[in-house]
Amino acid sequence: MPVADNEVKSSWADDVEDIDGLGLPPNTEEYKNGLKIITEYGLDDDNRKFKVVRTYKIEKRYVAKAIAQRKSWPKFGLSKEDKPGPNPATTIVSEDVSMQFITNKEDPDNKEDDPLMKLKSMQKGVVKCRICKEDHWTTQCPYKDTLLPVQEALNKAEEKKVGPPPAAAAAGGPQAKGGKEGSAYVAPALRDGGNRKGETMAMGRRTDEGCTVRVTNLSENARDSDLNDLFGKIGEISRIFLSKDKNTGQSRGFAFVSYKRKEDAERAIKTLNGFGYDHLILTVEWSKPSGTQ
Amino acid sequence: MKPLMLHGHERSITQIKYNRDGDLLFSSAKDNHPCVWYSINGERLGTYEGHQGVVWAIDVDWETKRFMSGAGDNMLMIWDVQTGKALGKIEAKTSVRTCNFSYSGNMALYSTDSTMGNPSEIFIIDVRTVDSSFSTNDPILQIPLTNAPKATSMVWGNLDEVVISGHDNGDLAQWDLRTGKKINLVSEHAKSINDMQLSKDGGFLITASRDCTAKLFDADTLECLKTYKTERPVNSAAISPILDHVVLGGGQDAMDVTTTSTRVGKFDARFFHLVFEEEFGRVKGHFGPINSLAFHPDGKTYASGGEDGYVRLHQFDPSYFDFKFDY
Repeated sequence: MPVADNEVKSSWADDVEDIDGLGLPPNTEEYKNGLKIITEYGLDDDNRKFKVVRTYKIEKRYVAKAIAQRKSWPKFGLSKEDKPGPNPATTIVSEDVSMQFITNKEDPDNKEDDPLMKLKSMQKGVVKCRICKEDHWTTQCPYKDTLLPVQEALNKAEEKKVGPPPAAAAAGGPQAKGGKEGSAYVAPALRDGGNRKGETMAMGRRTDEGCTVRVTNLSENARDSDLNDLFGKIGEISRIFLSKDKNTGQSRGFAFVSYKRKEDAERAIKTLNGFGYDHLILTVEWSKPSGTQ
Repeated sequence: MKPLMLHGHERSITQIKYNRDGDLLFSSAKDNHPCVWYSINGERLGTYEGHQGVVWAIDVDWETKRFMSGAGDNMLMIWDVQTGKALGKIEAKTSVRTCNFSYSGNMALYSTDSTMGNPSEIFIIDVRTVDSSFSTNDPILQIPLTNAPKATSMVWGNLDEVVISGHDNGDLAQWDLRTGKKINLVSEHAKSINDMQLSKDGGFLITASRDCTAKLFDADTLECLKTYKTERPVNSAAISPILDHVVLGGGQDAMDVTTTSTRVGKFDARFFHLVFEEEFGRVKGHFGPINSLAFHPDGKTYASGGEDGYVRLHQFDPSYFDFKFDY
């Protein structure tokens, strides 16, 4: 209901009278509906008036006789001057905290979902198709080969996977994961989709000939971890080589991603070729065998 | 849950204890006035004025009539809980580090620190009558721990016939009070035992140690039953009176300073399942390591006292009681 806008919003400080020399109204105590409301006025550091309203709920409880007797004891020591009820100087209601439940069973799911979630939400903000509002460049949409079908397939796979792991994880769940639950940072090597074995050149394995894709037209801001997140969604990565300028650490624009399985590499090409990443459109294709070293 | 922050001390909290009925919470700190609070709303009832040093340990008898505190000014004082008046005191040779009323309330034990000249000693005294002549009474039993690691924590054992002591090097010893002799010694911990608490029925004993673990022992045989591991020294541990949970608090490590919010402290109390030894929950809030933990006798609330000088009273959410540990 519209109220006349010319109603001058005066500060409550002007309305109340000047009782004492400080210009502060007296503190009041009101009892209303089982609530005790204490209003206190004061001057803060910048000499501005402030008002603190504390609301106490008055409850009636039935307790053992001894406990009731103790409640009526007079206060002593430093609290001798205190009025009945909690003294705000000593009793403060703190911020809401809740118990963070940690179960080892939930950890693997959490870690796996997180990068996916992060990617989903991150991608949504970067590019938006004008036609279908999904995260790809408009260029004659419809639903231009988006990651969505891939994501859905992945999610379905997740749900199926959840069955067996809890049995294994619950028994001897790595304590370290539980310990790290509180921290947000996870080293790239330990993230899901990351190459946990570490990216050593001197590996015994023959690095996946035929499972490597070459990614070009990467933006300079692209980093190993970004590639990991993006390409990790398709399948397990065995190695990522991102060409970087030695001095600045920025990407030179191309990278080689080796998957553990050839099908993953195929899928990567199918889904990520033409994918809009940062401000450029990626090209993902099979890498020429000699180029992977 | 919205914890109540009790701000009655200017220095770090050394110990907190509930009385047997749970309506009062006593707290002691490195300042010299132990406080007593109503646990239902956090209202302070009073403070006990008289000590002149760090108050290391406190205890209240089962009738909530007398309150005992041991301090760094070498005094053990017994107070009337209601009025705050000092009833009697004993002067020791060194700081009094622990004090406990016996289950019956007729006896009390206290132990002192070891310094260059004096070994740590355990005293058992009669507290049936406490008056001005109290300081001149002889102890029932005096056990000097000469050339032995000092006692850092003590509890009364089975039927007040034994006392159990935790030591600076991680040893747990059981002493028979009729003979004054050590009847059992176990060395399960690698470093100093910071705190020991009994379960509600006195069957279990949980010890919190600087070696980053807390262990559950059988109170009669001192057999180590369970171990709860963390990455930081454990300053205190308590057993829930109604559920199979234990809570550990500690943390004397390098702080990770890169915290986003400074309004909620980052030090947490960790909840473990008693049987499975696995952590299932954490409650943040303290701005410094937690020095003392206590469950309310009804198990529905718990309190923690920290290095930051605050005592936080938490009331568990229904989600805590509904939580089922899957196995």
